[in-house]
Amino acid sequence: MKAKVKDRDWKKWAGDNSALLAFAALFVLAVILQGRMFLSFNNIINILRNNAVIGIIALGMTLVIITGGIDLSVGSQLAFTGVIIIQVFNQTQSIVLTLAAGVVMALILGSVTGLLVAKFRIPAFITTLGSMSIYRSVAQYWLNGGGLTAAGDKLDSYLSISNSKLFGVIPMPIVVWIVCAVIVYLFAQHTATGRHIYAVGSNQKAAELATVRVVKVKCFAYSILSLLVVIAAIVETSRLGSVNSASSGSSYEMDAIAAAVIGGTSMAGGKGKIGFTVLGTLTLGIINNMMNLMGVNSFLVDAIKGAIIIVAVLLQMVLNGSEK
Amino acid sequence: MSDYVVQMKGIEKSYGKNEVLHGVDFLLEKGSIHALLGENGTGKTTLMNILTGIIPGNKGEIAVDGRIMQVNGSAVEQSSEIAFIHQELALINDLNVFENLFLGCEIKKSGKLAKKPMYEKAKEILDMMDINLDPKTMVSDLNASYKQVIEIARALMKKAKVIVMDEPTTALTNVEIEHVFKIMNNLREQGVSIIFISHKLNEVVEICDSYTIMRDGCVVQAGKVDGNITEEDLARYMVGKDLNYDELYKARTIGEEILRTENLSRDREFKDINISVGKGEIVGITGLLGDGRFELMSTVYGCNKDYNGKIYLHNMECKMNHVQKAKKAKVAYLPRNRKENGIIKDLSVGENATISIIDKIRKGLFISHKEDRKLVANYVQQLNIKVKDTDDLITSLSGGNQQKVMLARALSSNPELVILDNPTQGVDIGAKLEIYSIIMKLAEQGVSFVVLSSEAHEVLMLCDRIYVMFHGEMRKEFSREEANEEDIMIAATGGTIQEMR
Repeated sequence: MKAKVKDRDWKKWAGDNSALLAFAALFVLAVILQGRMFLSFNNIINILRNNAVIGIIALGMTLVIITGGIDLSVGSQLAFTGVIIIQVFNQTQSIVLTLAAGVVMALILGSVTGLLVAKFRIPAFITTLGSMSIYRSVAQYWLNGGGLTAAGDKLDSYLSISNSKLFGVIPMPIVVWIVCAVIVYLFAQHTATGRHIYAVGSNQKAAELATVRVVKVKCFAYSILSLLVVIAAIVETSRLGSVNSASSGSSYEMDAIAAAVIGGTSMAGGKGKIGFTVLGTLTLGIINNMMNLMGVNSFLVDAIKGAIIIVAVLLQMVLNGSEK
Repeated sequence: MSDYVVQMKGIEKSYGKNEVLHGVDFLLEKGSIHALLGENGTGKTTLMNILTGIIPGNKGEIAVDGRIMQVNGSAVEQSSEIAFIHQELALINDLNVFENLFLGCEIKKSGKLAKKPMYEKAKEILDMMDINLDPKTMVSDLNASYKQVIEIARALMKKAKVIVMDEPTTALTNVEIEHVFKIMNNLREQGVSIIFISHKLNEVVEICDSYTIMRDGCVVQAGKVDGNITEEDLARYMVGKDLNYDELYKARTIGEEILRTENLSRDREFKDINISVGKGEIVGITGLLGDGRFELMSTVYGCNKDYNGKIYLHNMECKMNHVQKAKKAKVAYLPRNRKENGIIKDLSVGENATISIIDKIRKGLFISHKEDRKLVANYVQQLNIKVKDTDDLITSLSGGNQQKVMLARALSSNPELVILDNPTQGVDIGAKLEIYSIIMKLAEQGVSFVVLSSEAHEVLMLCDRIYVMFHGEMRKEFSREEANEEDIMIAATGGTIQEMR
């Protein structure tokens, strides 16, 4: 009897913390397979830096998925806003104006998506499938399918956003990611709007009758995501000094969604944790890193990644299903 | 021995650390109707689920028709002899009667559906039950009692010896209930045994031969239903203490008008409705299915934009096109169907209670968790919500306690008018009484209530005035003094009962 009870408790815990388990399992696997090389300071920093952009986007993606929605457009949004940001920078040579333009852009794009989804009730999948094409197409039209390079007197200060190090040790993209994660975590767990996001995703009808402003809450979630996409775009473009209308941000939406889902965010809405999304991002990062170190053919990397995502979610469902 | 078609002995069941059945004995005589009574969360449904093999038990013995069954047996083994008719009927509206009866066990002839034999077999069963119904009738054209009957027919077709009926009469009108009872009596004469789960004790006294009463996972009383047992006795056993409904109502002075509607109409839902509610008044609106009372009051709450007529709150005309308007006018709403419209299943008990006002409980940008906790603890104490930890998920509570959390949510914004739609739906007697006395206490303090209910005795017990609706029209208005169950029923059926007499 008693053993059975314990067994169930353990399963429930595992179901609730599957992101932690997946992360720990892969971490151990990586240490076993790669040992010192994996654990070296440089490699760890590498993993963190390489995944900062996806990590930042995944934070917002988690919020949107918790509302019961999804945003497929984040990859092309990154390219689209990236083009605008560099354009503004090149014209004005002002970091402040560039950031301001990015924020305004994000709020507009996020609100429009939110309104289309919440007010006009177009399914989020369809809305963002459409906007994904629009952003990419317009960005490519502007640049004639090519890229745009940041230039001007102040170029160095722009590039230093991503290429400087905190205390001379930790690369800026990692710092930005951590700061964003803390802010989004505080927002989700400790503000009224954060709680409304969970309520709307869990039972929209009930939330509406309980006087939660569903349209406002959804617009908020999509706007935060767009804001994070702009931040990711700044990190990415200032690291490289350029943007490419065709390839920048390509398939980032898949990685961001995968990170959230591996982190235990429920696609049905209502459930998800910001901390676990960070772990989900790192899990994906470790997979990439491991295969890199092992010299797996780069064309196969995505296949292995895909398989691991399916297995992770399957495991979650099995563990959560046993709760009953 | 063989007198009993079902014998359950020492059944134990626990979910995790939570033991829900502590050695329950249950006996069912052949050819009898046996009432299984108890408040929500006492383990009735769990016991029946173990009997029908839907969930495994931990310990105990089950014998069906003399054959020993596995307590942890599979559903397949037992379902052939025991049929469970759930509260929510599982019929498909777009199919006709015989197609529904044979759903999942269709008769086929060389891969094609053999409609004729299915039709004839269905006719045979319906005739046996003494029901005059063409098996080709679409289920969507049937009324609620016939749907219940079709479920029974499906059970009989599988040659079930025992039929478990979980609150079969909740959605039925009195005439329909009589109809279902007639068929239950027929079945009893043919040797079929029925386990009847119900909260309506008058029905138990009327139709059952014996009863078993459960409380907190134990059987507290079992015996025969004969002339010596009354509804009050049964209620007392269930709750474990005397109930007094009579002392509930308290006379109050009603203040100025809070709500008034003028010729309020909405297409195909309700027409020219004029109601008024005073300060501190409890007004009831009752009627049968399709009477439009839900549509009416959800319009008043601001759920529908396209209505005609006028709504006055505090003597000011308000365009109620959004629930935020209701919130501003200090109107709160407790919706019907808790599961769909009320509980937010991924949030905790406390989060569910304060979701409507969480934006007000702040310290700077962030939620003040301390204040939030204090508020929730207050509700738990005031409404006597039985909960171990308010951080547990709302779904871990029993129905009655979930409903109290919903009530806490409705009251959290300090409303002046509260619309309660089916406030005691799926709530056991003890919690029901508590909810009633909370409503009465608040009314004494000057809060106004509109109570929507299909149960006439509920509005009779609680309300100062009662409106009766029928097909979207206001049929009658009763003061407390002139109202009685019979007249309400006559008005609610549009006068058809009178014609029948």
